[in-house]
Amino acid sequence: MRLYSQHLLGTIVLSALVVFIALGGGFQLNEHGARAMAQGGAFAARADDPSAIYFNPAGLGFQGSSVYLGTTFIMPKITFYGPTDISTTKETKMVDQTFTPINIYGTYELTDNIHIGIGVNNPYGLGTEWPAHWIGQTKTQKTDLASYFITPTIAYKVSDQFSIGAGFNYVTGKVTMKIATPIPFDAPLPIVNLDLSATGVGFNAGLIYKFIPDLSLGISYRSSVKLDASGTAKFDPNYTILALPNGDATASITLPATGFVGVACGVTKNLEVEADYQYVGWSSYKELAIGFKADPTKNEVMTKNYQDTYILRLGAEYTINNVQLRAGYLYDHSPVLTEYVDPMLPDANRNGYNVGIGYKICERWRVDASYFFLKFDQRKAVNTVINFDGIYNMTATLIGIDIGYTF
Amino acid sequence: MKQFIVLFITLAALIAALLIGCTDSAPTAPAIGLGNSTITKYVAIGNSLTAGYQSAGLYESAQIYSYPNLIAQQLRKAGANIGSFEQPIFSDPGTPDPITGKASRYEIISLVGPVIGPKGLTAGSPTNSTLSRPYDNLGIPGIPLAGFMDSTGTYQSPPLGRDVILRWTTNALLGKSVFKQVATLNAMGQTPDLVTFWLGANDVLGFAVSGGTSPNAPTDVATFSSLYGKALDALRTTLPNAKIVVGNIPDVTSIPFFTTVNPLAAPQIPAPYYLRYQKHGTLGMSFDSTKLTEANAPLITLKGQAYAALLGQATGQFWRDAAALKGTTIAALYPTLAGAGIDTTKPFGFHPQNPWPDALILDADEIATATSAVNNFNSVIATAAAALTHNALVVDFNSFFNNVKAHGLNIAGERYTADYISGDIFSLDGVHPSDRGYGIVANEYIKVINAYYGMNIPLVDVSTLPKLSAPLSKGKNGKIDPLLPFGAFNSLDLLFRPSVQ
Repeated sequence: MRLYSQHLLGTIVLSALVVFIALGGGFQLNEHGARAMAQGGAFAARADDPSAIYFNPAGLGFQGSSVYLGTTFIMPKITFYGPTDISTTKETKMVDQTFTPINIYGTYELTDNIHIGIGVNNPYGLGTEWPAHWIGQTKTQKTDLASYFITPTIAYKVSDQFSIGAGFNYVTGKVTMKIATPIPFDAPLPIVNLDLSATGVGFNAGLIYKFIPDLSLGISYRSSVKLDASGTAKFDPNYTILALPNGDATASITLPATGFVGVACGVTKNLEVEADYQYVGWSSYKELAIGFKADPTKNEVMTKNYQDTYILRLGAEYTINNVQLRAGYLYDHSPVLTEYVDPMLPDANRNGYNVGIGYKICERWRVDASYFFLKFDQRKAVNTVINFDGIYNMTATLIGIDIGYTF
Repeated sequence: MKQFIVLFITLAALIAALLIGCTDSAPTAPAIGLGNSTITKYVAIGNSLTAGYQSAGLYESAQIYSYPNLIAQQLRKAGANIGSFEQPIFSDPGTPDPITGKASRYEIISLVGPVIGPKGLTAGSPTNSTLSRPYDNLGIPGIPLAGFMDSTGTYQSPPLGRDVILRWTTNALLGKSVFKQVATLNAMGQTPDLVTFWLGANDVLGFAVSGGTSPNAPTDVATFSSLYGKALDALRTTLPNAKIVVGNIPDVTSIPFFTTVNPLAAPQIPAPYYLRYQKHGTLGMSFDSTKLTEANAPLITLKGQAYAALLGQATGQFWRDAAALKGTTIAALYPTLAGAGIDTTKPFGFHPQNPWPDALILDADEIATATSAVNNFNSVIATAAAALTHNALVVDFNSFFNNVKAHGLNIAGERYTADYISGDIFSLDGVHPSDRGYGIVANEYIKVINAYYGMNIPLVDVSTLPKLSAPLSKGKNGKIDPLLPFGAFNSLDLLFRPSVQ
């Protein structure tokens, strides 16, 4: 009982740290557990901790009852040079922010074959904030997208070699944006503050097949989730003479489907390696359309035209007694075409380097920490549809911490 | 647990040290500078566009954004030691309207409408008239090409007399002609090594802005050709080593003065009516019909915006205003009108006997005349520039503004168009650029200079220049269709007239 209350305390403490905002690939986040994160996110073929609820629900079939929870501190740095038609070297630094997506998972072994679980995490989110009155203020001033996935999950262990699993996603999303509205007059530009929220549903499913105990295949799929957000638009300053469309506003975003195929291999008694291919159906994000009920002629459609893309993941874990050393690498191919790169979410191909460590404190408790450095290729935005060309230099540092308790 | 933390931090620090070193460096640009050239003196020759004229007036808060002043600032940033760049500054609210004596500057008085016009303010005065040398900005509102060499005062142009800029009444040494001013600078040892020369627009603009009435034809091309050659030759003879950059002439129909009113007036002409208007050079019943929506429709000028609201009414408003402008009475004018067959009891603009006046419309023939004049003048300019010893560079404003009219312009992600008020390029008179418009003009000069001479003069950051000012706090839910006063832009009309009666 004492342990239960400790767990509860831990949950409360970690939840208090959480901000409903996060940033990651495109606006996708793949950091949903410090152990997987330390291995480049290559985890779908093993999924042998409770973060299986995200990576591959079939993994629950081979697990007992446990709780795993933590957070990731994400610290992106973006510097923009431009816009090119004024200066190729004029520098604007994005405002520093730290994002803390959470992950909370609980699993329970109902019978030997049927395992259930529930997870709460933030698979999509983004946040960019540029200095007030910066030169791109009519493109974006501040944007935050947050999503919360609550995922009840069930897995069925068909045999000791084969497990299948599925989850239902209840999704809440929130979008807040600040964008300056261009007006032809010499006055502070009205900034539209959009505050929108939505709920949606999705599902995920997966399987794991162990050819031999040391060689497994994992396949997992997460559906797209359509979010029809509604809320309010408020212009500040609000020049009534300009009849700005204050009031009800809408936006629609489809969070993309994604899928993993992974192979994991126990090379020696102490060393496990895994390689994953992740597909991301970013072509669902064609545009961001903002609707204003007060004046539909002022509706704004921002064309994004994202492309379907992929991520390659490699990870390894080496166990020495109660310590596990981990390392990983990933290559994340950007879904954003050159002419659609914009400061709302500048993106580029990324190479990610991960290290991490796991420590088994005692029979029931463990702690995992991971460090992740994400190096974006320098992105040159040329002939952009928003006529805002320039160069983006980007990096992100991520630190993940999770604690686990096994019943 | 302690070893765990130490180990993790060590690992993370190791990776961080390896990777943070490999972050991208900031992009570099070619060094700002003048390449192998030096520039120690810049002089701008031109008309109202060069003077920094805006919104039907010349006033300090606009003059500081004249394109020559902006170019001078950028030259300094590139290391040119040009000293102070002196302009004939008129304190706000600027030059007087010769008819009312009040400041001629147009402002947005209210955004409901919006209502645009002069505020009836007391005019400003010159603040820099005691300068002991010629100005560096020799843009003189209203002068045609012929005004460059002329020293007789023939082309004195109200509301701003050339004498104020050339100051022959206060400093006879400076001489009466624009060219003489340049020669004086040279003689004083302040030899210009960069000259921009943008004349010729008024040789067609006066014709166009007055609806083809005043003057009733553009300068003929042979005269223009002769004058242009002489002007450039005179400059080259006096300044053998100067870099000379000329601007050619924009298509007059690319400016909002001619493109704003038609879409507003067309709905005022319901079936079965047509706009009956006076064709070129006619005062009487000669008329033509149009819906204003067909191809080759005539263009109602911005001066006619207020009168468009009177379409279909029995009114002689335009003729009353015309009479007032001439200082005569309606009674004195009406016999003339009646003699010409005009009957102002008929529906204005819809009846052949009360046609839309010639002075407020550019008909298809006049458009063709103006366009052909622009094209011919631009050929002359291209030829003369190429033929000049050491050449003169040409900034192709004709192509530039046609392109703006067709496609708009994007700078730093902001949208600019040739639309009245909302386009951010033109001032309230619909002819002259705004602060940002002049910034755009300055950049076109700088781009040509940089490209030819291998310089890297930085461009003006147009996004930092002021936009039109407007009383945004007053009124509610306005519609942005302009509401101009009757007799709008009479001062513009006078501006382009070659001489005052």
